[in-house]
Amino acid sequence: MESTLSDPVLGGAVPALAAPPGGTPDKDTDEPRRGGSWLRYIGAKAGGAAVSLVMVVLLGFFAFRILPGDPVRSLADGRQVTPEQMDILRRQYGLDQPLPAQFWRYLTDLFQGKLGDSYTYNRPVMELILDRIGPTLLLTGTAAALSVVLGLWLGQRAAWRRGSRFDKTQTGLALVFWSVPTFWLGLLMLLVFAGGLHWFPTGGMVTAGVQATGLEYAWDVARHMVLPVLTMVAVVYAQYLMVMRASLLEEMSADYLVTARAKGLREDEVRRKHAVPNALLPTVTLIFLTLGGLVGGAVTVETVFSWPGLGYLTFQALSAPDFPLLQGTFVVFSSIVIIMNFFADIVYRLLDPRLRAS
Amino acid sequence: MTPTRTAAAPTPPPGNKKPRSKSPTGVRLPAVLAAAVVALAPAVMAVPAATASSAPAGSTLKLALTGDIDSLNPFKAILSSSTGILALQYQSLVAYGPKNNEDIPSMADKWETSTDGKVWTFHLPKDRKWSDGQPITAKDGAWTFKAIQTNDQLKQANGSLLSSVAAVEAKDDETLVITLKAPQAPNPGTQLPIMPEHVWSKVENPATFTNDKDAVGSGPFTVTSYDKAAGVTMKSNPYYWQGKAKIDGITYAPYKNSDAAVQALKTGEVDLISGLTPAQYKALQNQPGITTNAGTGRRYQAIGINPGTQTPDNTPIGDGSPALHDVELRRAIVMAVDNKTLLDKVLQGLGQEATGEVPLAYPQYNWDTKDLPLKYNPQAANELLDKAGYTKGADGIRLDKSGNPLKLRLMGRNTDPTHQQMADYVKPWLKEIGIDVTTVMKSSAQVNDDSTVGNYDLYFTGWGMGPDPDFQLSINTCASRPNADGTGATSENNYCSPEFDALFKRQHEELDQAKRSALVKQGQEMIYNAAVNNVMYYANTLEAYRSDKFQPFVTQPEKGGVITGQNGPWGYYSATPVGMNTGTDEASAGFNPAAVVVPAVVLLALAAGGFVLYRRRSATAGDRE
Repeated sequence: MESTLSDPVLGGAVPALAAPPGGTPDKDTDEPRRGGSWLRYIGAKAGGAAVSLVMVVLLGFFAFRILPGDPVRSLADGRQVTPEQMDILRRQYGLDQPLPAQFWRYLTDLFQGKLGDSYTYNRPVMELILDRIGPTLLLTGTAAALSVVLGLWLGQRAAWRRGSRFDKTQTGLALVFWSVPTFWLGLLMLLVFAGGLHWFPTGGMVTAGVQATGLEYAWDVARHMVLPVLTMVAVVYAQYLMVMRASLLEEMSADYLVTARAKGLREDEVRRKHAVPNALLPTVTLIFLTLGGLVGGAVTVETVFSWPGLGYLTFQALSAPDFPLLQGTFVVFSSIVIIMNFFADIVYRLLDPRLRAS
Repeated sequence: MTPTRTAAAPTPPPGNKKPRSKSPTGVRLPAVLAAAVVALAPAVMAVPAATASSAPAGSTLKLALTGDIDSLNPFKAILSSSTGILALQYQSLVAYGPKNNEDIPSMADKWETSTDGKVWTFHLPKDRKWSDGQPITAKDGAWTFKAIQTNDQLKQANGSLLSSVAAVEAKDDETLVITLKAPQAPNPGTQLPIMPEHVWSKVENPATFTNDKDAVGSGPFTVTSYDKAAGVTMKSNPYYWQGKAKIDGITYAPYKNSDAAVQALKTGEVDLISGLTPAQYKALQNQPGITTNAGTGRRYQAIGINPGTQTPDNTPIGDGSPALHDVELRRAIVMAVDNKTLLDKVLQGLGQEATGEVPLAYPQYNWDTKDLPLKYNPQAANELLDKAGYTKGADGIRLDKSGNPLKLRLMGRNTDPTHQQMADYVKPWLKEIGIDVTTVMKSSAQVNDDSTVGNYDLYFTGWGMGPDPDFQLSINTCASRPNADGTGATSENNYCSPEFDALFKRQHEELDQAKRSALVKQGQEMIYNAAVNNVMYYANTLEAYRSDKFQPFVTQPEKGGVITGQNGPWGYYSATPVGMNTGTDEASAGFNPAAVVVPAVVLLALAAGGFVLYRRRSATAGDRE
């Protein structure tokens, strides 16, 4: 407290409001209000999320009915199929029922945790999604973690040395990767590192036909992951870098940093202990939001690298069109985004005392 | 002085202590990354080489599986990747031969037809066995037919094959009798895969049985495992009646992207790929160790011309231009399209110019006349239209019979890049004969819907075909027209002619092969002259394989045919390894990775080291200031 009061530049007492949020906020005065507002806050956010989920469920059914294409005719496309066979298929999938009846069936199924049966795969949609969500989460999770670490780290370095060569090259490079089409970058990686250099496999999650277990299996998967993960990281990390950089730049003129320096902290400590934690706040929301989006964004990367995940399943469902599968993936994707958004709101409030106080 | 300097000033600058305190965030990450890359690169590189040389040479055929697998249950599977795999595992009573797609013995070695053409008797030899060693009997055949007949859920894949069957009976273990509702020429023993009763009758619900592990079959290969990530593995069936295959098995590696599959062929991760684009095909032609094959396709590519769509009770439906009801106009359109140029430019010549709907792959039924009345001739097309009374307006666009400018729509699929390319040629060609064309590319599903109910003027279409032309002809009969809502039967192009219907019935019942072939060709000529379907070309199936590992494969048909996607297992069954692997894979791929990898790693290490040094120096300098 001594150093705060004797700040040589401001030459006077620092107002209480400017107390470093990363330090010790005044708990006593805030406590009674926080309990009430937390409930209300979570209630409001949860309500919003619930409404969005209901909309998704409704949209999931009706939006795809507007899509052109008789699914049964698409299934029969180019095959030898009798009219009787098509009628049987329509009956099997309940497509001969009026729309309200189909909707009712969809709703009742949904409440039992069922997403219907896929037309093209002849299997429950839930099973298909569960089957493929693992590889997608592995891929996007790894890519997200790496992008976040890399983006935030480079972002804060760049901001701290704003205008330096490091700043210019790093932001420039990140923006170049950000603007490059994912498909193109992926193919390029594939051509150079798999086709040309033979460093990595050309696709898939495991070597086909090899029954590996344990460490051997993990190593096999890791090798297959390198190129798709690198592609995703290259395309995604720029947004973390840019947000972190902008947010830290904003913090850099804040009074509490002056205070921190006045206390005699080293420049490095000022950055790590005071500026960066505060600058992290805006990125939290972004991280949660993009996590939701990443699952859907995996479509391209999964297709380029033949990754057995959800992305490609969705693509297949769209081209069929396989209504139950489309509905299923749509509901799952949307729910992930909504839930992530909800978490972002909560974590943000947890981290930011200013929001907590208001 | 800035606050920063003031704040920094009191901090003691202990020369060598500083960089260390900085290192956690300052230097460690790039250093660790660089170290990791340097450490991992050789290890990562070493693995593919190790797997390549440790695997016994040529013992398995590795294929790129570019399509999706819907199911390996033969009652349910409809996607071509799945049916292709099942065709290796199950046989029909009668097979399509590799030479010419002719009917040859399979599960049955002999068969005969009653004089009225309704009763077909198949004789199954005694000594044939399933892949688990159990005997194959006529009861297996009867069980399979009955399962589909009595259970709607099992009709998905092959239900249509049984629509003409009245009864199936196993007289004894060696004799299967199929009684038909009406006489027919197509052999009812082809196509339907026969399942082992002793396995499937024990399955509680055959419709939901996945059948993707240690399957029992009668073909040259059977599925041992299927996993969406690891692909499909098959092993050779020791009891296959023509003898065990020369390879131990087949591995299907899933590739969702054909460019990746091409790279995999180059690196030796797969041995055989199909479905190449003309550009990929041409690029692979000059690769050492790789042989390309352009097999004659089973599919025709055409422009469908809407002659006026009607339901089976002759109610007009759809929004096709009424002008196209005139056969003369349709014929002029066919004459204005230069099929040869489309084949050369769009397919880079990798196909054959077409005559009728049955491709060259089926020479028995291919209508191969050189004397085509509607061959490319824009001048004759113009004269024809002049004579028919379509006068040109001031803008060069002709007027139809009711005095309106001739404006037509041309529809294609946005999933097929060749459609837009072809449209770019067709539009000016039709302009040349005074027809204004607007082109629109739509989703596949939309094109299916629109074309079924006649919501089009012209559209790009095509059909893949089995060895028997019966189905292809049947979708041109009046009875095949759809209901107004698009349900009901499937019509090729809403063509309807009583003469054609009569001809169709005759060929359907004609048991004399020569006579039937003549009738089928005549049918194609009728469709051609009605100008409802301008068949342009048969695209080749483009394939490539590692000829440094496998000897040439058996193609179907024998001359200029395909290896993959055959009507039968002959291509894969013929796989013969080229002696032992001499470890020349890498060299034969035309690239020595060591030449690039070693300098690259060294450079990377140097760069990383330089970066670390630079960071240390600049940090120290800054702090000393």
